[in-house]
Amino acid sequence: MPDETGHADLEEELRRVVAQIDSVPTALLEAAVGAFTWRTIDSDLAELVFDSLVDQHDAALVRGSTDARMLSFRASTVTIEVEVTSTGDSRMLVGQIVPPQSATVDICQGDSVTTLEADELGRFTAGPLHAGPTSLRCSFGGDSPQPSVATDWVAI
Amino acid sequence: MEPEEIADLVRAAARGDGPAWTAIVEQFSGLVWAITRGYRLGPQDAADVFQTTWLRLAEHLGRIASPERVGAWLATTARRESLRIAKTSARTVPAQASTLIGLGHVDEHSPEQAVLDAEQAMLDSERARQLWRAFKELSERCQQLLRVLMASPAPSYAEVGAALGMPVGSIGPSRARCLDRLREMLTSKVSVQLLCTHRDEKLRLESTRA
Repeated sequence: MPDETGHADLEEELRRVVAQIDSVPTALLEAAVGAFTWRTIDSDLAELVFDSLVDQHDAALVRGSTDARMLSFRASTVTIEVEVTSTGDSRMLVGQIVPPQSATVDICQGDSVTTLEADELGRFTAGPLHAGPTSLRCSFGGDSPQPSVATDWVAI
Repeated sequence: MEPEEIADLVRAAARGDGPAWTAIVEQFSGLVWAITRGYRLGPQDAADVFQTTWLRLAEHLGRIASPERVGAWLATTARRESLRIAKTSARTVPAQASTLIGLGHVDEHSPEQAVLDAEQAMLDSERARQLWRAFKELSERCQQLLRVLMASPAPSYAEVGAALGMPVGSIGPSRARCLDRLREMLTSKVSVQLLCTHRDEKLRLESTRA
């Protein structure tokens, strides 16, 4: 990148200081390399399309009215709605698959997977889970032609 | 790295090539980290944003419209996730005291001071410590911009623009302005110190005479 500032020396000094103080922690670098193993190849991706934390108007976020956060993930054939309740570092999930149907749901977090069943109305609950990056993987009944669905990762 | 090389790495990783993925991580992890640090997230939140960003990319590899621009994609994702996590009020770190108060008046017992002290201890020279103190007194926007520009390897302007949500055309002028300010602060800091040393010396001499 060209230097248009006439401050090349100062910038170089600052670069050295930042490198000394604040380079990427090794454990995080390893985690980033390891992220590759979580990749799903045959799943349909359900993208995060709504998060009450950022998509809700501020006026609706009356402090103390509710601690629940609503997330909505959309794939081509299904939508997964999840309500997240926080208590300290612990998280509870209440989920709903739309259209309603039974499914096996894997909740992936860091290096752990929690498996549970959504009932025939597509409802499931999970927790306590720990805070941090989370993805839900849903696979549907044996005779269902539907591909499994993996949600976007989101830190809960 | 050339855009075409980067695009090749993304395509290879999408086909399951692990070393290609590692090369992408090596190329852009400094940038992603700098963005999370620029938003002044606490260590756990910064770690969560960093990991979420890479997990997202792993899942999106085969779906990225312009693989040569994966750096900008990562930067945009890291910025959005930083803003998202900052909204979780319980997880938000209070605004840094140094943005609210003047030069050299950081409360000695504040958590901000403790962080600053720990950072200072990692630096090997007084000059480096002065530079870091001056940097920490810049406006939040300047710190964000310079922090991202200092990422290693150095990001492109397109990536910096995506990291900060600013037009590419304003990066150069802002960078110059922030560095001007940093130089000013360093100069004034040094002169304040010289004055203090001079004053202390005078006091010492006076007390010796008395």
